[in-house]
Amino acid sequence: MSKDNSPMGQDSKMPASGGLNATETAAYDALSAGPSRTLLGDAWRRLRKNKLAIVAIVWIVIMVVAAISADLWVPRFFGDPIAIETTTLSTNRLLAPSFTHPFGTDDLGRDVFSRVVYGARFSLAVGLIATAISIVIGLILGALAGYYGGLTDAFVMRGADVFFAFPYTLFAIAMIAVLGPGFINVFLAIGILGWPSIARVFRSSILSVKQQDYIQAARALGANDVRIMLHHILPNSVAPIIVYGTMSIGGAILTEAALSFLGMGIQPPTPSWGYMINASTKFLLTAPWLMLWPGFAILTTVLAFVLLGDGLRDALDVKMKD
Amino acid sequence: MAQDLLVVDDLKMHFHTRDGVVKAVDGVSFTLNKGETIGVVGESGSGKSVTAMTMLRLIPMPPGKIEGGDVRFNGTSLITMSDDEIRKIRGNRIAMIFQDPMTSLNPVYRVGHQIAEPLMLHKGMSKKEAWARATELLEMVGIPHPSSRVKDYPHQFSGGMRQRVMIAMSLACDPDILIADEPTTALDVTIQAQILELMQELQKRTGSAIIMITHDLGVVADMADRILVMYAGKAVEYGTVDEVFYTPSHPYTWGLMDSLPRHDMTEKGELCPIKGQPPSLIDVPPGCSFSPRCPYAKDICKVETPLSRSIDGSHVAACHFAGDAGFTRNEMACALEVTAG
Repeated sequence: MSKDNSPMGQDSKMPASGGLNATETAAYDALSAGPSRTLLGDAWRRLRKNKLAIVAIVWIVIMVVAAISADLWVPRFFGDPIAIETTTLSTNRLLAPSFTHPFGTDDLGRDVFSRVVYGARFSLAVGLIATAISIVIGLILGALAGYYGGLTDAFVMRGADVFFAFPYTLFAIAMIAVLGPGFINVFLAIGILGWPSIARVFRSSILSVKQQDYIQAARALGANDVRIMLHHILPNSVAPIIVYGTMSIGGAILTEAALSFLGMGIQPPTPSWGYMINASTKFLLTAPWLMLWPGFAILTTVLAFVLLGDGLRDALDVKMKD
Repeated sequence: MAQDLLVVDDLKMHFHTRDGVVKAVDGVSFTLNKGETIGVVGESGSGKSVTAMTMLRLIPMPPGKIEGGDVRFNGTSLITMSDDEIRKIRGNRIAMIFQDPMTSLNPVYRVGHQIAEPLMLHKGMSKKEAWARATELLEMVGIPHPSSRVKDYPHQFSGGMRQRVMIAMSLACDPDILIADEPTTALDVTIQAQILELMQELQKRTGSAIIMITHDLGVVADMADRILVMYAGKAVEYGTVDEVFYTPSHPYTWGLMDSLPRHDMTEKGELCPIKGQPPSLIDVPPGCSFSPRCPYAKDICKVETPLSRSIDGSHVAACHFAGDAGFTRNEMACALEVTAG
């Protein structure tokens, strides 16, 4: 049997296709070595090389996991973030960081670590939901403007200009003033304010992709408008939106903090980073940690989303070869 | 006479812009029979590509507008049919290859997906069948390792390979007509020859007719059965390869040929470019649009638009004097002063 096998082994080494010389085959094999490549796989491979982006992802994951699982461990080990223990208030208020209260306690005797973790829930939710609202509105309007052009384009873009004409935070405050403070209204206000930038980015992206030869080629193959839009233009123009959207999550968190700081966002006693900073201004000199911890949380979270967005920008560039 | 596959009859495509009406295609006629190759030659901006795109209605309208004429494919007008009907023709019965293979493939899809797309659109193939066919097509256009290359992305291919992929895409549905819009212009010379050879070979095998748009007379001399010479949106000369190359009858065609280096050229022989610039298509000169650059132009040329004159057989030229006994190419044309209009 072993004698029969050897010529077989030689046979299998014969070139599969005629006319291709050995060097070419070798070069091709080297090129195609490794696992089958996909666009997302390639993007992930490039993203993994970006250390800052990885740190950002790890930090975001920690925040998300902590925020989601907070009910399971935070109250038990660090104390309730909302309830005020009136009996021990006088001994428990404004404690400096220690083992039992790693971030100290606030003026009402509540554990600051506990409040920061619970505050992450609302901040992350605002970041994600408000950005999602902006992206949905922005994508639809941007797509209409970019693809159809003409009057539609003029109408949508002038609408966006009207939004841009107002100072961002003032506009948010004005909207909350009209809608009234509260969860849903903060989501809506920040979400609605975000669409013009998304629409603009998406529109310009579509305008440049629309001119590409492969769109003309798709049309020449007999693809219809819907197919061209969804299968050919969208996948090629969505990368800037992913990048911009990731970065605007940070922006939305920042806006929410600003609103809460001004008392227009989430209402006490629900913990919110912005409001915590507001409440701590009175103790800036006597208990500075009260301000530092929520500030640190805002800073790192916003930074993490911006760095991740930055990493995604490089990773999603199809033309970049490792 | 058998029914012609494609008849282009006095086609006019004008663009209405803010600066005026651009007469990009202004009365072009030709016929294409089954399995035949026609070469469309002319300078940049002479309306070659617009003619081809108008046939498939790929020009956005507005600003484009078909001002007259007709394109009949198997006797049916492509101009008046509904959008749905023309979509069933595109990529299926008439396919197109574009000039720049580097930008004509969608960067986010595997090449197999892109070759499979027309098959799924027009032939109703399942994804699996279409991919299997895509692999066969890749092999047909001479790509090594087709079964693994089919899963690669366009950026993993070189320019020549991508043009092969484009050809595979366009031939996927076995079209009756292949429109090749300067398919070799963006490629280097050795690859150009390979691609042309491939196209000729595939034409023999599939029997599709080819409309070869090019500014390279060498390409059409080699491939085409018939030649259409275009200038400023108009067809100036039309005939078989032999007619156009051996008895060119329009001064513009003469000019094109004099601009080419020849084997029998002596050391002293200089190339003789056509003087001047092609006219703006918004403001086409009155009379014959070539007259301002034509060394043979007479008074009538600046006043009256020449009609196509039959030279012999199917050979026609749009010049007042074409075919006249005394009107021949002057070897000294270079020396003749162009009487600037």
